[in-house]
Amino acid sequence: MISPVKIWRRQKEIRRILGKKGQVITWTKILAAGAEFKIQAPYPVVLVQLDDGQKVFGQLVDYHQKDLKIGLKVISTLRKVRTGTREDIIVYGVKFKPIK
Amino acid sequence: MVSVAGYYTTQFGELWEKSFSDLVKEALFGLLKSVQKIDKNEIDAIFFSNMLGGVLENNLHTPSKISELLGVNIPIFRIEAACASGGAAFHLAKKYIESGSAKTVIVLGAEKMTDYSPEETTSALISAASGEEQEAGLTFPGLYAMLANFYLQKYHYKEENLAYIAVKNHFHGSLNKKAHFRKRITVKNVLESPYIAFPLKVLDSSPISDGAAAVLLTSDNNILKKLTNKIEILASEVATDSISLARRKDLDSILATKIAAEKAFKTAALAPKEINVAELHDCFSIAEILAMEDLGFWEKGTGGKNILELPTMLGNSGDLVVNTSGGLKASGHPVGATGVKQIGEIYLQLTNQAEERQVKKAHYGLAHNVGGSGGTAVVTILGI
Repeated sequence: MISPVKIWRRQKEIRRILGKKGQVITWTKILAAGAEFKIQAPYPVVLVQLDDGQKVFGQLVDYHQKDLKIGLKVISTLRKVRTGTREDIIVYGVKFKPIK
Repeated sequence: MVSVAGYYTTQFGELWEKSFSDLVKEALFGLLKSVQKIDKNEIDAIFFSNMLGGVLENNLHTPSKISELLGVNIPIFRIEAACASGGAAFHLAKKYIESGSAKTVIVLGAEKMTDYSPEETTSALISAASGEEQEAGLTFPGLYAMLANFYLQKYHYKEENLAYIAVKNHFHGSLNKKAHFRKRITVKNVLESPYIAFPLKVLDSSPISDGAAAVLLTSDNNILKKLTNKIEILASEVATDSISLARRKDLDSILATKIAAEKAFKTAALAPKEINVAELHDCFSIAEILAMEDLGFWEKGTGGKNILELPTMLGNSGDLVVNTSGGLKASGHPVGATGVKQIGEIYLQLTNQAEERQVKKAHYGLAHNVGGSGGTAVVTILGI
């Protein structure tokens, strides 16, 4: 079961890093995922240095193959991260999309 | 001075017929039998290394279960530091003897992983990463893939440069009867294997394995007098670092390895060039390249080029042979057992018991065990 309390605690952190611009430091594309993310695979994950200096992980969304590179400029956005059973709450979190 | 005076390992691999307890029992009794001149009543304590028993198998309070299996009532402790559990257990066992609390101790490591689906095991393993990394959908191959991608771009190498590590370690694995994989592979095989986390492929990666290993540590002169095959622990150092790659200063090196290595070489009063044989933590091909550089064997950034000549492969011209057991890559990676097996392999090499894969005139050996993506590192130096 996804713990609503854990999600509630985390949401307070996520709010601070939404809508922020940054640059991809390194990336990978996950093809063999864990149980909770298997349904989404394959998906790219990027490590981003935000313009304010902090570094944040997130999946890359709304991308083309050519976007998968170190140095790509991105912006953080709120997206669905994972779902559990029908009774569970839906987990939202930070993902990144390329700046067009 | 504390000595390593015995070693036993089970077969590593997909051992469907063997349970967690079977593996633990085989390693313990196998060790006692191989040392022969020692009775179980001479063992003062056991340090048990295991990562996933609680997560995958609902199996905790293992010390008491080991007490039952062996029929002893001595202190037994379980140590967990992800994939560095074995090295950490060894470190603590040595300190326990040095403190005067015991004279003779077994370090035992075991893991049962193949009863579960790959995604269940992948999820269990990522418990050793930060919450933020987990929520991004990262896996352990994914974290090392990020390090690999950074390294390849920074130093202008190709995926092919990494593949040579796997070729070398599979060659060594082919010479080790206890290894999970005994098949030799080519660079082409590695490059044609499917990606699991770009740029890392199946054949860049260590497998999910079952297995158990045990070493005997003692400072008891009465026991040491009776034994011919023994080596000395010259140094065992542990260092830690931020769990998240996002909190690390550099992505082309593992700081915990550098710190532990620096301390270990200082304690042992040796230089990297004096090491003849090493077991390095090659959970992924990139990890052995980074380790060679961070331990001081190669200059930073040169690993991708140096490995093309395979200088660290048995029978080649180099002064240092690396991962004669096959490494995590070919010998297999039953997480809790890995760090113990590394020390055991160095023991076999330094006591001339490594059979087909014996390195000639090996006097000093090093074992390097890493937890997570570098959150813990243990460097052990052994000598005769």
